[in-house]
Amino acid sequence: MAEIHSITPDTDRQFVQKTLRGLATAWTDFEGQLERVPIIEKLNRGKLRIEDYQALLRNLRQQVVDGGCWIARAASNVSVDYFDLRSRFMRHSVTEHRDFRMLEENYVSVGGRLEDIQSAPKNIGSEALSAWMFHRASQPDPFDLLGSMFIIEGLGSRKAKEWGKAIQDQLDLTPEQVSFMLYHSENDDDHLAEFEDWIALVAGADKAKLIPKTARVTARLYALQLEELDHV
Amino acid sequence: MNEAYLTAAGSFLPGAPVTNEEMGQYIGVIDGKSERLGRLTLRQNKIRTRHYALNADGVPLYTNAQLASHAIKDLVSKSELSLSDIDFLAASTTQGDLIVPGHASTVHGELGVGPMEIASFQSVCASSMMAAKSAVLNVRADDKRAAVAVGSEFASRFFRPGFYQDAREAIARDDHRMAAEFLRWTLSDGAGAVIFEPRPNDRRRSFKVEWIKLVSLAAQFDVCMFAGASADTRMETEGVWSHYPSPIEAARNGAVMLLQDMVLLKRIIRAWVGEYLKLVDDEHINPQAIDWLLCHYSAHSLRTEIISILEGTGGMIDEEKWFTNLPEKGNTGSAALFIMLDEFMEKDLAKPGDQILCVVPESGRAIVSFMLLTAQ
Repeated sequence: MAEIHSITPDTDRQFVQKTLRGLATAWTDFEGQLERVPIIEKLNRGKLRIEDYQALLRNLRQQVVDGGCWIARAASNVSVDYFDLRSRFMRHSVTEHRDFRMLEENYVSVGGRLEDIQSAPKNIGSEALSAWMFHRASQPDPFDLLGSMFIIEGLGSRKAKEWGKAIQDQLDLTPEQVSFMLYHSENDDDHLAEFEDWIALVAGADKAKLIPKTARVTARLYALQLEELDHV
Repeated sequence: MNEAYLTAAGSFLPGAPVTNEEMGQYIGVIDGKSERLGRLTLRQNKIRTRHYALNADGVPLYTNAQLASHAIKDLVSKSELSLSDIDFLAASTTQGDLIVPGHASTVHGELGVGPMEIASFQSVCASSMMAAKSAVLNVRADDKRAAVAVGSEFASRFFRPGFYQDAREAIARDDHRMAAEFLRWTLSDGAGAVIFEPRPNDRRRSFKVEWIKLVSLAAQFDVCMFAGASADTRMETEGVWSHYPSPIEAARNGAVMLLQDMVLLKRIIRAWVGEYLKLVDDEHINPQAIDWLLCHYSAHSLRTEIISILEGTGGMIDEEKWFTNLPEKGNTGSAALFIMLDEFMEKDLAKPGDQILCVVPESGRAIVSFMLLTAQ
């Protein structure tokens, strides 16, 4: 790809480092912001109730269903020059698109009704997040979505286990009842290491410059989704 | 505006180095669980020796202010100045000798010179950088010509069994117990001092201060390392130690001992690294141009965590450029950076033009601070 965009290996490397710095600070700012989201604050202070966990699952479900869809749409907008990246998006879509089933099982296992979680409308934040993701995914060569994937996969690899364990401890649940959280932490570990390669692959493309910004917008809207639980 | 030069450093580490095996004699033995968690903590922090201002029976031999005063006198002996030249004293500590008045007053009293201007900085490790910045700004503003910043800690006195025995219930839970034991087996005593002047030395190496930056993230994070509240009620109005009916009640509820939330600490570490990367992005720090990194960290395991986040970002400073004396001198909180600088200067490791980046994070309520020096 380097020939097409006439970039030198050195500027290429600098671009990758700058982008990874942008992603790292988008992530750390996001993590700081999460500390002040009411449900996360409750969790961190050991005050979570079963209703809170139910609300969390109910509010995450609709966006998780969408997750597989926006990545599939993004994949369809990746041009043939970046064939490998298209495959990567498609693989990601496949791993994500069944996740919501596990989430529903967790919900029912802690006393929720399947009809309730399946029929719950998106909350205000989920609407914004979903609209944003589909908007970016509809652009040609939407490489900036690597930024969104960094945030969402970071939630899986860095936060899900921490949250899952805390929820399990505070509510005295079995691992099966928090499997959506615990499963993500096992599976998203190696995704993060790949980012360096993918960013190098798209370095020089216009949309690649937007990767940190798209990460920041996605992070803000994800936090909004958690702030607006059941506000529909 | 004047330039400010760091022209000398000094330190005072009380008594002989205390090995891991000897620690229990000084800070005392609580129970078997404490000893087990102690061994675990020591494996993580990789500290091999430290100093205590207690004797081997746990009796205090100095006050915190005396430790600070000794460090300043050591500094003067290594400088081109005399004690009476000092016209500003910024004193930092985590827990001073007295609750009232300020720590700088007690240090100045011990020092026994002056009148002079003083400033007290009470925080945790980063109080050292607050003191340094205050001293530097006074020199830059042409208000002072010999401004001292001192950091001193006498943590071990709070780690003796008597500070825990009435609060057994408050630290019954494993996470609370670890919150107490991690610090007992990590922190130790000592003092370090530096002096800033508007001119470099004539005969010894000086370091020009390029800038000092400190960021607090307290609006994002709950308190993480603290004394004065119990672990569970630390964010509540009624949790404050002085809101209990009596100081004895507060102590019984675990609201007097030093505690460290180990889970929150991991999240705060990532935030520190984020703030560092912002300075790289803003071109305040060029990691490739840094010749020496003096980074204060409480335990070796935290260093590993920091490095893992920096991978791939171009923000990493090669490990051979890291200078530390944590394994031999121990974690001395607000004194640590100045004790490191003293040893670094004594070894005369820097060449003219070398850039030295000093980093002091503080988990207290999420602060991270930086100082960039250029060797003259």
